Amino acid sequence: MVVLRAGLCPGLTEEMIQLLRANNIRTVVDFVSSDLEDVAQNCSLSYKALVAVRRVLLAQFSAFPSNGADLYEELKSSTAILPTGNPSLDQLLDAGLYTGEVTELAGAPGSGKTQVCLSIAASVSLGLRQHVFFLDSTGGFTASRLYQMLQARVEDKEEQLEALQRVQLVRVFDIYEMLRALHEVRDCLSQQVESSAGPLKAVLIDSVSAVLSPLLGGRQSEGVAIMMQLARELKTLAKEFSVAVVVTNQVTRDSSTGALKSALGRSWSFVPSTRVLLQGRAAPWEESTAPHTACLAKSPRQPTGMQVQLDIGSDDLQEQRPVTPTP
Amino acid sequence: MQRDVGSLPLSPALRVRLLAAGFQTAQELLETGPCGLSKEIGISKEEALEALQVVRQECAGDAAKTAGGSGSTRKCTALELLEEEQAQGFIITFCSALDNILGGGVQLTKITEICGAPGVGKTQLCMQLAVDVQIPECFGGVAGEAVFIDTEGSFMVDRAADIAAACVQHCQLIAEAHQEEDHLKALENFSLESILSHIYYFRCRDYIELLAQVYLLPDFLSEHSKVRLVVIDGIAFPFRHDFEDLSRRTRLLNGLAQQLIIIANDHKSAVVLTNQMTTRFGQNQSTLVPALGRCSAFALCMTSLLFGMGSKKQ
Repeated sequence: MVVLRAGLCPGLTEEMIQLLRANNIRTVVDFVSSDLEDVAQNCSLSYKALVAVRRVLLAQFSAFPSNGADLYEELKSSTAILPTGNPSLDQLLDAGLYTGEVTELAGAPGSGKTQVCLSIAASVSLGLRQHVFFLDSTGGFTASRLYQMLQARVEDKEEQLEALQRVQLVRVFDIYEMLRALHEVRDCLSQQVESSAGPLKAVLIDSVSAVLSPLLGGRQSEGVAIMMQLARELKTLAKEFSVAVVVTNQVTRDSSTGALKSALGRSWSFVPSTRVLLQGRAAPWEESTAPHTACLAKSPRQPTGMQVQLDIGSDDLQEQRPVTPTP
Repeated sequence: MQRDVGSLPLSPALRVRLLAAGFQTAQELLETGPCGLSKEIGISKEEALEALQVVRQECAGDAAKTAGGSGSTRKCTALELLEEEQAQGFIITFCSALDNILGGGVQLTKITEICGAPGVGKTQLCMQLAVDVQIPECFGGVAGEAVFIDTEGSFMVDRAADIAAACVQHCQLIAEAHQEEDHLKALENFSLESILSHIYYFRCRDYIELLAQVYLLPDFLSEHSKVRLVVIDGIAFPFRHDFEDLSRRTRLLNGLAQQLIIIANDHKSAVVLTNQMTTRFGQNQSTLVPALGRCSAFALCMTSLLFGMGSKKQ
């Protein structure tokens, strides 16, 4: 809904706008959908001029359809598949993370979401030599853990340090800061500023629920509006710049079946095209040897319900043992 | 590229009016100006001016960043962060087993939660940390001050004084053994009185006071920039009773968690929380788990310490 302003297109003058406003035509949509003969009569404007303005406005503001074959060609040339660094996860995601799409990792605290994100960052930065943008809203990003992962993958110290430099971290603790940071990324990419964000291929956001859950619930609908604004930013970023966007989310229990599902509600469930549910040990203090598992909850390409075992702690991570009572 | 009106931090009522009037980008708002804006959406000129100031700040902030300015952004590469992390100090607990588990001590810029049954020693550990954070750098400490927020009323000043005296004595022994200049100089300022005077104590009786205290803490911390530890003794207590609306409680806790993460990060301090234990009834047995839910907001990023019950206090 764009407001009619002088200079929006040639032929649209200030007096015209005032006359149109007097007849309740304020936005482009109002103008284009009204009957021009009536408007010409009521506003005493020339019919020809109105038709010309309408043509220009339609050309400027309408969306153009493209056919399937063109779309397919475009996708083939612009989509890349990024390996996550974890072969079983790659198998679950049908070879890896697809650029142009939003992928979600959901799991309870301690299920390994941040570790998987770090692993993806390490793999993209080291293996593909591409820049990675990491938006951290929980304070869980530890560079030493990332360094550990890089050390486990490659021996050469130079390469490790270079890979570390390609990972750009921004800490955002509030939804507006997150929107601002994403906007900045878009600006950088559209202006092709090579120095700060080189060939950017992956944007990781850990986590989305941390900044959105204080706003949702209760009687306010504001939270959902802001959530959808964020969704739009993420999808535009992914699609326009061929970037793989990965977000992490919390889980809640489904009230009817008792199964775990991603948090943030039904509206958010339409945003990511792929959803992976991570499950770790039941609780860190319960002595259980069950490994982490990943289950596919939503995917445009693979059957849902696929489950694989993830090997997260294989890079020499010292397991933190709980303090057990001494006899 | 322009910021969308929906993504600007304006009040909800104002945002709804702007969108209904057809404004889409921040640029359009700035072009219209305060008089035009107040006429278009029917608000007073002062409100329009305020709104435009917010918009201008947001857009100016964006421009400064794209031009390479750093400002107060929390932006860095992983390499820079690694160097920062390796240079960071820990707050030691004077219990080597505990320090080993934590990887050197309580980490700065992170949230640590201590859960345990009543009587196991959580408040004692917090008091110890409040003293340990003040250890001078030459003895291996971070030379900071502490904020102690008490919700249960379990802080005993005489016990804290005992702990402080023991710490001073310990440092004196180290100084005698090594006989170095800076050790002796540091010891002059490290005394019982100075330790106790650098523990800032707040008492919060219900959840509203706790929330208010935490939200006002950044102002306090910017005046007392040497604070390196914030202890909240009893985070669960004000939230566990008298709360009818559980979803509201979750929202408040989430907001509180984010605020604490901001404090930990911006002021480079450690945040330590103590939590109560509750029982989860399973099929055949019941287990003790930390209170406030497994998917509690705080579990997002922090280290959790658990104490076995009925054991020797480790």
